[in-house]
Amino acid sequence: MPFGTRHRARASRRRLSPFRSLVLAALAIALSAVSGGLAYFIPAAVAAYNATAQVVPVPSPSPEEILFSPSPSPSPVSPGAFTVLLLGSDDDSKFSADHVLTQSMILVRVTPATKQVVMISIPRDLYVPLSVGGTSKISAAYAYGGAGAAIATVQQNFRVHIDEYIWVGLLGLIHVIDTIGGIDVVTTNPVFDDYYPLDVYGGDPYGYQRVAVLAGPQHMDGRHAMEYVRSRHSDYQSDFGRSKRQQQVLTAIRQKAKQLGPGDVPSLAAAIGGEVKTSIGIDRVAQMLPLAASFDNPDSIQQFVLASPYTRGGAPGGSLYPNWGLILPLVHQYFP
Amino acid sequence: MIPRFLLALGLAVLMVVTGVTSYVYLGSRQSRVAVKVQKPPEATPKPQAFSLPGTLYLAQGGALYSFSAGRFHQLTPEDGWMQPAIFPDGSALVAVKRSGFFSDVYTLTRFGQVTGQLTNNQAAPRDRWDTGANAWSFYPRLSPDQRTLWMSYDGPKYAGDGYFDVDMSVWAVPVGGSIRQGRLWTTTNNYTGGDIQPLPLVGGGIIYTKYSYDENNNRVGQLWFTNRAGSYGRALTSTAAGCSQPSLSPDGGSIAMICNYGKQVSYLTIAPWNGSSLGGLQTVISDQMVAQPAWAPDGSGIAYLAPGVSAGPFQLWFLPKNAYNPPPPPPVPTPTPTPGGPHNSPFPSPTPSPIPPPPVVKPIQVTTNQGFDATSPLAWIG
Repeated sequence: MPFGTRHRARASRRRLSPFRSLVLAALAIALSAVSGGLAYFIPAAVAAYNATAQVVPVPSPSPEEILFSPSPSPSPVSPGAFTVLLLGSDDDSKFSADHVLTQSMILVRVTPATKQVVMISIPRDLYVPLSVGGTSKISAAYAYGGAGAAIATVQQNFRVHIDEYIWVGLLGLIHVIDTIGGIDVVTTNPVFDDYYPLDVYGGDPYGYQRVAVLAGPQHMDGRHAMEYVRSRHSDYQSDFGRSKRQQQVLTAIRQKAKQLGPGDVPSLAAAIGGEVKTSIGIDRVAQMLPLAASFDNPDSIQQFVLASPYTRGGAPGGSLYPNWGLILPLVHQYFP
Repeated sequence: MIPRFLLALGLAVLMVVTGVTSYVYLGSRQSRVAVKVQKPPEATPKPQAFSLPGTLYLAQGGALYSFSAGRFHQLTPEDGWMQPAIFPDGSALVAVKRSGFFSDVYTLTRFGQVTGQLTNNQAAPRDRWDTGANAWSFYPRLSPDQRTLWMSYDGPKYAGDGYFDVDMSVWAVPVGGSIRQGRLWTTTNNYTGGDIQPLPLVGGGIIYTKYSYDENNNRVGQLWFTNRAGSYGRALTSTAAGCSQPSLSPDGGSIAMICNYGKQVSYLTIAPWNGSSLGGLQTVISDQMVAQPAWAPDGSGIAYLAPGVSAGPFQLWFLPKNAYNPPPPPPVPTPTPTPGGPHNSPFPSPTPSPIPPPPVVKPIQVTTNQGFDATSPLAWIG
């Protein structure tokens, strides 16, 4: 082969036809677009994977407990309805990680068919038999046995079936509220507390700071929302008053969350870090987001706090005796 | 035919650009719920800025701002300033400066220069765990003669460690005097948050917001009136209405307030006031979370704070007077005889022309990307 022909043949092999070039370019665009998307969502996916679908062993009640438990007539079960146990912890440095008390326990029943939500706040000082053995304040169940023990304790005492749980640490709530740009709340009254824990921002788990949350409509960041829901010393109803405020803030978060889109997922995931754990799988979370947005009527959210006559004081260590004769009918009316 | 080297180079560039673009695009799809608010002066001047009469004083992020002729001016640094009120003669301001453990009332010029300190609520802790010797002062107002400072105050602190109830009472303190010379005017209900937002009246006495427990053990606000220190006073609104944040109209004949009716709402409400009793409540705005209503000094409307978008930071709004006090409809024309017409026949009955409905007057959103302090009353002077 003459030199000129060989050179042209080699040069021809180093070139591609326009069609093949276009196909390659299209593949490159698709591949890099997907890579960009993965780079955006992977941190969120990892955080979501770590936070969601937590498997917790829940001890079953003994056969005697089931056999001899009076069973009030439940309401008919609505298709798709489910029950979630919300757990909130101080998560401060007075306790070792994962052995914290749950300062907040809220049973939530969601009925998508009727777009109704029922919330019952369980007093943290309720004196009940724990699933891990012994009798103590119900807030100790999580400290002794994690989410599984907390769920089992609530299931056994309140005779409800809990489908899912969500645990939120103190910093998690602050970060989530900040990430969604704050919430709007109408504080029902001025909330003053001269003995508010200095743990989160003061670095002293045994120190105190003063808190003044003024009354009326206002836009709250995470820190001030936390002060509002956590303060209890200047509240005649103590933990019960605080429970009402917690439900109020949860409703405000739901209201704000309706405006979120998929693009917010990474920043939310980064915000919650290790401060949120749930048994709900990531696929179910995706199903629930539009569901949450569809609950528009504030009157469809019913809120209960188990103050007197549902509970009474005088139990050991400043805890509360439950009045099961009143609590169980209420619970079973809304949590079949 | 494209050389392979050039193709590879082009594809590499294309992939980098596409990858970065898709990442940036997804980032841009974030909702705007967490957009940072602007400082008010950064938002002005705007060609279409809405101008309110006189000068309005308001707070954002711990700083005081004035708003006049469509422009904001920052008066103080972001250092805990809030709750401005105007001297009755319009010469100066009083405002609260809040710190972590206490708050004090100061006098300032209308340009934000501090000219005096009216309270001294800071106290050294008695031990590591003591916080109770400090005190809060909020909602300062001056009496019409400018000799008395009215405020909500949670001191003095008689109790030591372990006394948890903190409630505010309404106090009247001589301007320039100490709290020891002050008089306690109201008796608070324990564990409610107390009595706040005193509104001194020209004829003597005060309107204020009192918190109490209703029959369902919920804490609710009510407007109260008292004209004597230490007297029990009387309620102007019911516990069911849940009203607070009173504001007296320039002519003294109406009170604007917010009412929540036990829900997570906040309606702008007005009622006639004759100096001692309140007339029926009229809800003026029921689809916004209204805070801190303030009457225009010329009576042309009511300014207030409310979110610009659902669940967003609070913006400045203005409700023109016609929205809550529409002008009377024009009189129906009476028929007049036509010159040269049939004088003996009855007047023709005119075809009743339908009276056009009055135009719906809506609130005007004055700002769009601020985050005003909705716990801080607005002060407005002509």
